[in-house]
Amino acid sequence: MTPPNDAHSRRSSEGSPAPQGSAAPRLRRTAWWGLRPAEWALVAAIVVAVLLTGVVDSNHSYFRLPWQSLTDILRNTALLGIFALGATVVIIAGGIDLSSGSMIALSGTIAATTMLALAPKEIMAFKPVGPAVVGVGVLAALLTGFLVGTLHTWLITAVRLPPFIATLATLVGLRSFARALCESCTLGVVGTKSAQINVSDPIFKAIRDNVWIPVAVFALLAVFTWLLLTRTVLGRHIHALGGNEQAARLAGIRTENVKWFAYCFGAMTAALAGLFYVANESVAAPVNQGRGHELNAIAAAVVGGCSLSGGVGTVPGTVLGAIFLRVVIDAVSKIIKTGADVYEGLIVGVVVVIAVTFSQLGALAKGGTRLLPGAIGLCAIPTLALLTGALAAMTAGRNGGIATGVGALFLLGLLRVWESRRSTT
Amino acid sequence: MSQRTHDCIPSAMTISPFAVRMLGITKRFPGVVALDDVTLEVHRGEVHAICGENGAGKSTLMKILSGVYQPDAGVLEVDGRDTRFTGTRDAERAGIAIIHQELALVEDLPVAANVFLGRERRGALGLLDDRSMAEECSSLFSQLDCAVDPGDRTGNLRVGDQQLVEIAKALSLDASIVVMDEPTSALTEVESARLERTIQRLVAQGTTILYISHKMDEVFRLADRITVLRDGRHVKTVDTTTTSPREITGWMVGRDIAGHDFHGSRPRGDKLLEVRGLSLPWPEHPRGYRLKDISFDLHAGEIVGIAGLMGAGRTELLEVLFGAGDDTWTGTIELRGEPVRFRHPREACEARVAMVTEDRKRLGLFPDLDVAGNVSLCALREALRNGLLSRTAEEHLAAGPVRDTGVKTPGLHAAITGLSGGNQQKCIIGRWLLTNPEVLLLDDPTRGIDVGAKAELYTLIDGLCRKGLGVILTSSELPELLTLADRILVLAEGRLTAELPRAEATEARIMEAATAG
Repeated sequence: MTPPNDAHSRRSSEGSPAPQGSAAPRLRRTAWWGLRPAEWALVAAIVVAVLLTGVVDSNHSYFRLPWQSLTDILRNTALLGIFALGATVVIIAGGIDLSSGSMIALSGTIAATTMLALAPKEIMAFKPVGPAVVGVGVLAALLTGFLVGTLHTWLITAVRLPPFIATLATLVGLRSFARALCESCTLGVVGTKSAQINVSDPIFKAIRDNVWIPVAVFALLAVFTWLLLTRTVLGRHIHALGGNEQAARLAGIRTENVKWFAYCFGAMTAALAGLFYVANESVAAPVNQGRGHELNAIAAAVVGGCSLSGGVGTVPGTVLGAIFLRVVIDAVSKIIKTGADVYEGLIVGVVVVIAVTFSQLGALAKGGTRLLPGAIGLCAIPTLALLTGALAAMTAGRNGGIATGVGALFLLGLLRVWESRRSTT
Repeated sequence: MSQRTHDCIPSAMTISPFAVRMLGITKRFPGVVALDDVTLEVHRGEVHAICGENGAGKSTLMKILSGVYQPDAGVLEVDGRDTRFTGTRDAERAGIAIIHQELALVEDLPVAANVFLGRERRGALGLLDDRSMAEECSSLFSQLDCAVDPGDRTGNLRVGDQQLVEIAKALSLDASIVVMDEPTSALTEVESARLERTIQRLVAQGTTILYISHKMDEVFRLADRITVLRDGRHVKTVDTTTTSPREITGWMVGRDIAGHDFHGSRPRGDKLLEVRGLSLPWPEHPRGYRLKDISFDLHAGEIVGIAGLMGAGRTELLEVLFGAGDDTWTGTIELRGEPVRFRHPREACEARVAMVTEDRKRLGLFPDLDVAGNVSLCALREALRNGLLSRTAEEHLAAGPVRDTGVKTPGLHAAITGLSGGNQQKCIIGRWLLTNPEVLLLDDPTRGIDVGAKAELYTLIDGLCRKGLGVILTSSELPELLTLADRILVLAEGRLTAELPRAEATEARIMEAATAG
């Protein structure tokens, strides 16, 4: 290793693509062991969210029913986390998989229809089908994940579709396929069309009743993915592919094969999650199961520090991102009590925006960028105030809404004035 | 052409003899003083060259002049008036146009749209007036003696033509001061000559030119005066007639660079590579081929240089040898007597062929990996311990080539993007040395690298060759090939038009063969 060299640090200020303000060669902030600063911030955010919920929630369910609250959050986090890990690998490899929600539905349907075909009487009578049949159903679902991943890779590398288009096609296509499969299988086997298949085998019930099974699967998968990304040649090649695809090919990396792995991993983790969805709800219902959940997985990865341009991201980040998302969603459901699922999408959206804004706070504080610049900033002030006001009105009543809206308007106005004065001095 | 900006200044004002004066300019970035009390005075209507190594502060100084950066201290005068730019628009309004080293074009837009980007002309109803912009564009290109179609998609143009689009953009601004930041780094000799004629015409019209270049012959042909910067400080400003290229490069690096000749005296080993009748079709082009009937040999311990204008097929030839091209070629390639046909760079790696690509940033670097990660990438398997990557083993692996190639880095953890171009290139060469290659393909390895780092790379390449590697080297600079190569092959429009032993090669003979129809 060469010691830091003064003449050299000056030299590097030019002729390199380093952005303005980072002229000296910066040492990587990468912690190879442990967490990065942004991930510690996420840990702190999770703790704060939990404490706030415990205090604000009028039922105080975190104090009264700590065990039930914990298992609820753990189950939801494990389910989201399993396919968020898949999304992380795809995103680091420079791709995107929009289809995981539909893959969840298809995986459950494949498992259920396979079991229905092998043991129609038991399924219809809500009786156990036996471990062998369950095993075949599970294998069929995972195999479907592999096939869908292969289809994605083929569309992307051979047909040369952009990943967004290829997986958008399967996002709409796979769910429709799963519904058609469910209807034609029930018609063929039972004689009547049905949009869902009940699954009440004791193995699935055991998984539903024991939260530690999905949590253990999630933990094992997280450790496996972490080892894969940080400690294997394939993992390094995934980072290289996402960072610079052309350079990766010219460095002798079989980029098509790396992509193949990434998309299969993404689809197979979604297939695995789909099995847990079926167990949780005791039914394979392709109409609505996992609908829109692909975006939660992508959100967890982005909140955890993945860059959608590829090459950047960590497993601990995604795990924390998934926990954070679920904790915040749970907090809102505790505070609002009834009908909180309406707000889930809103919360995910707000959390993603805030988390990504938070990671840029350094630049904002230094004065390099403004949060409310020019005419756009001016128009953003009433937009944001209306949004927060409406939100408060719906949850806390009319007066609370008006007060919150006016307060937000005032605070944002102050921020705007402060930013303008700072930039002129 | 409409009125120039400086003609608009009221005649009552005292006319300053200086088009630009920058006095005591200081600019700091976190941890670095990029410019330290730099003074630059440019006479009206002169060509003023600014020389210095990468990192000397040339580009930073020009970015201050063009309003991209604001100085921390110092005074900027344009046409004798105190000026303070808060953005590039201010500078454009003051008649200053800059042609950046890194091209800033929207590849998906047509050429004319790029030339008028942000200043689109509008016709009746406020709709875009594409025809008038295209016509203006054509007339600008005819001034530049080039045949670019304003309707072409910009990304489809060769790099050289894209640079001309940038120049046309500056011309369309009717600027009185034009800054050119290494405009010829991607141009062929013919295109460079065309640019020189354009510069002379602009000067005749009264335009002031600030010209940044590494190429001493250009600087001495074009410039009236030369300013040398080193490590962010002003070293000297001299009249071109009173100095020599040797003196200028000496001031640039702070030491005397002896012109080395590396070729010769290297023992030539066994034949490594035999290429016979290599052709690469190009169906969608009227010529019908990218390469036609190329035959040559490469021996161990030998550097074969490939000269040719841009578009002659140098990169395509190396891509075929490395298995990186998409099209199927005909002919035979024998490596150590065995016929080979690489379909993927992986196969070439396994056969111990390595290639350092032309465009470092686009085709070579992994910006998200650190120095160690960039160097170890092709030989990662050697850093496996018990089936898992070991960071310690990886650093140990990378430390070898980082030391051998003389990379200057604050550490193996440093971000690769923080290194200078020369050090990045050494990292990439180091990456390939770890694969233990026998044939090393170098595609324009010193492009955009400063004089001092170039000399270091020459020594490095020569040393590798002496260890028994066979090297194929392309370069857009003939002196580089004459310095390093034992033999020089000349390509012209995809055909091999000359094979010259070093003793018979001269710039004139190479250019003659490269322009042979």
